Amino acid sequence: MNSKRLLIVDDEESIQKVVSLSLKMEANWNTITASSGQEGIRQAEIHQPDAILLDVMMPEIDGIATFEALHRNPKTKPIPVILLTAKTQTSEKRLFQKLGVAGVITKPFNPLTLASQIVELLNWSL
Amino acid sequence: MPHHHEACDSPFWSTLVDTQPLTASSQLMVTNVLTRMASHPAQANCIFAIHRRKLVGIATLQDLMRAIAQNNQWQQMRLSQVISRPVITVSLAELQTELNTIGPLLKRFVDHQISYLPVVDDHNHLVGLIDESRLLQLTHSLPSATITSAVASLPSLSQSDELHRQHQRAQLFAEITFKIRQSLQLKTILQTTVNEVQRLLKADRVLIYQVLSDGTGKPISEAVVPPYPAILGYSFPEEVFPKEYQTLYAEGRVQAIADVHAPESGLAECLVEFIEQWGIQSKLIVPIVHPLNTELSVGDAPLRNHLWGLLIAHQCRSPRRWSDFELELMQQLADQISIALSHGQMLEYLEERVELRTVELTQANHALKQEVQERKQVEIALRQSEEQLRLITNNLPVLIAYVDRNQRYRFNNQAYDYWLGQSPATIYNKSIKTVMGAAYYKNIRAHIEAALAGNQVAYESELAFKDGRCHSVNVVYIPHVETTRNASPKIKGFFALTTDISDRKAIERMKDEFIAVVSHELRTPLTSIHGSLKLMATGRLGRLSEEGQQMLEVADENTDRLVRLVNNVLDLQRIESGEVTMEAHACDASDVMEQATESMQAIAQQHDLEIKNQSVPLLIWADPDYIVQTLTNLIGNAIKFSAPGNVICLSVCPHHDPVLSSNQLPELVDVTTSHCSPSAAMALFCVQDHGQGIPSDKLDSIFDRFQQVDSSDSRKKGGTGLGLTICRKIVEQHGGKIWAESQKGEGSRFYFTVPLCHRVST
Repeated sequence: MNSKRLLIVDDEESIQKVVSLSLKMEANWNTITASSGQEGIRQAEIHQPDAILLDVMMPEIDGIATFEALHRNPKTKPIPVILLTAKTQTSEKRLFQKLGVAGVITKPFNPLTLASQIVELLNWSL
Repeated sequence: MPHHHEACDSPFWSTLVDTQPLTASSQLMVTNVLTRMASHPAQANCIFAIHRRKLVGIATLQDLMRAIAQNNQWQQMRLSQVISRPVITVSLAELQTELNTIGPLLKRFVDHQISYLPVVDDHNHLVGLIDESRLLQLTHSLPSATITSAVASLPSLSQSDELHRQHQRAQLFAEITFKIRQSLQLKTILQTTVNEVQRLLKADRVLIYQVLSDGTGKPISEAVVPPYPAILGYSFPEEVFPKEYQTLYAEGRVQAIADVHAPESGLAECLVEFIEQWGIQSKLIVPIVHPLNTELSVGDAPLRNHLWGLLIAHQCRSPRRWSDFELELMQQLADQISIALSHGQMLEYLEERVELRTVELTQANHALKQEVQERKQVEIALRQSEEQLRLITNNLPVLIAYVDRNQRYRFNNQAYDYWLGQSPATIYNKSIKTVMGAAYYKNIRAHIEAALAGNQVAYESELAFKDGRCHSVNVVYIPHVETTRNASPKIKGFFALTTDISDRKAIERMKDEFIAVVSHELRTPLTSIHGSLKLMATGRLGRLSEEGQQMLEVADENTDRLVRLVNNVLDLQRIESGEVTMEAHACDASDVMEQATESMQAIAQQHDLEIKNQSVPLLIWADPDYIVQTLTNLIGNAIKFSAPGNVICLSVCPHHDPVLSSNQLPELVDVTTSHCSPSAAMALFCVQDHGQGIPSDKLDSIFDRFQQVDSSDSRKKGGTGLGLTICRKIVEQHGGKIWAESQKGEGSRFYFTVPLCHRVST
């Protein structure tokens, strides 16, 4: 499988580290990290990652607003976005999916199956 | 007024005949008759009823007294109801022919038992009245005279002393009668009588002896001149006054004894001796016969003559020959006493009536006072009750209103003024639309109409208060149903209760925020810990010692457990708060079962268990995600409690639940646009294991939160104690039921139902 590069946008550095390590270990993917919505948008524009893992609850610009901004920006619009959320309610997941995100992964996730979940959501081959 | 006749001009008339007898119309009221008689100068003792100048009846004073005594309503009586008829009369012609002597004339009085004889002309017009007493007076002075001769002799008599004396005596009699009638008190009347008789007759002793019912008697009034002893108060034994004497006296016998010692007196010697103690030489006895009425108050009770007593005159200084006049005077006075007795009786009766009536009136007055008192108390109680109600309704922090069928306010509590700035007085009889505004009314109109259709309604709304701020309110409408015996229930209006729930809403918002924060803040570090441990546990980040590896696994397992617990707590809270929206639509039960089986397959294999899916195509009306969650929870439990090598079976079939009817269908959000709807029939899901089973006493409680068969299960099996509670909440929100059947050692079966889908044909 071609090596992928994913952008992780999460205000929690520990999460960034676990996700990065998990994806490296399980799929040998490279990751870029951003600690806020604004930084995430900027990084996405610059690095054009294969996918973005976006936390929902972040200060200032939350995940939804960040996603909408990414979606409005022609440069970042094609990049698939997967929301990483601690919000577990089914109705919320449906709401997120309606926004046009590629998928929703609930926290806490299993780092051993995270990569395979992403592959499944994005129809990639591992 | 009697018709004038030429005979009236003769002196005879003025002596024998009363040419001005008292007359009245037969229709005159008895009260007026009495007045007229009392005011008559000659103290009339009778009155004639005249109709068209003809004589139609006579009423004596006694007749009138009797009528008064016998009739409660005598004030309404007319003279015609009292008079006797036909009247015994004498014509002028008769007076000039066969009755021209006093003897036959007197005989007529005796024959007819009358005291008054009216004289009429040929046309039956009243021309005068012959009074028996007058006739007797005339008889006394002219014992053998004929009327004609009397008429002829009158001029010479009128000049004689005798006539003068008689005239004086008649006047005296009138005076006595007048004096007697001055009083209504019997005692006074009797004393006046004896005093006056004694004075007039110059008798030594005059007394009234009352005959008692046992045959004895006693003097009750006496006038005695000194030095003769008084008899008053002395009781006379029965032997003195035997029964035969009483009978004779009752028939009107008069006894005049000139000398008690004379043999012709006929008195027994013992009696003479007996009376000698009072020095009696001569005596005159006349009976006082009184018509006895024992039933005064009962209308026309029969009357009978009763010897009430005797009027007795004694001469003590010497024997005395009693004149006819004296005898007649005594008789007349005895009659007067009889009348007085009637009066007295009537007075007594009237007093009794007055007393009775007074008692009745006092009782009525007392009853009225009591009633007034009771009414006052009821009024006070009502006022107090009303004040209390007003106090309560005005001080409750809710809007209370009563709205009639026409959607007009009929009652509002003071809170309308405090909250909305609209006083109850200004709102009264105004429509809801006017008071609340057209825009607000538009939002609540459906609820109002539902309440007026007889349904209890509850809804939440935002209401602008007088300070301009919007408050969240909870509104309840309770229909006022009037049930009558024969007619069907009628909706008269509804009661509206509005509660300010702004504080509750604020708390709810705070709770939501808190949960959101907890959800995030708890899961974020958990995610890091969980992820790190998982990665470390792979051993690819470096090998740990065996003990280190064991500790890592402990940390990993317990983090998993903590993650599940946090997830379950949050899930349950959201479902219970109603925050969760389950979106029902038609879905295939086998698809749902497939998803659940698939997600649990890996774990089952880890435990060396097989999941056997016995699904059949069955269209259910449910939110598939939540049914998958329910099945997953149940399969997870089955895995935990099954021994390796066992099989877990999933099945589904149609199920008829007699309890569930169409009006109890789940309150899920219908997201379908297809032609489907929930059906009354249900789908029955079953998850069966062959594990250790559940004791029968735990079968119900296991669905309650943190209730497990064994409290050590949560530690041994890593359960949270919330999984089955969440399952029950999900199933109940679908309108279904969940239960378990089990036999210890043979495994368990968990059942739940959800509505089947009913396909609507287009």
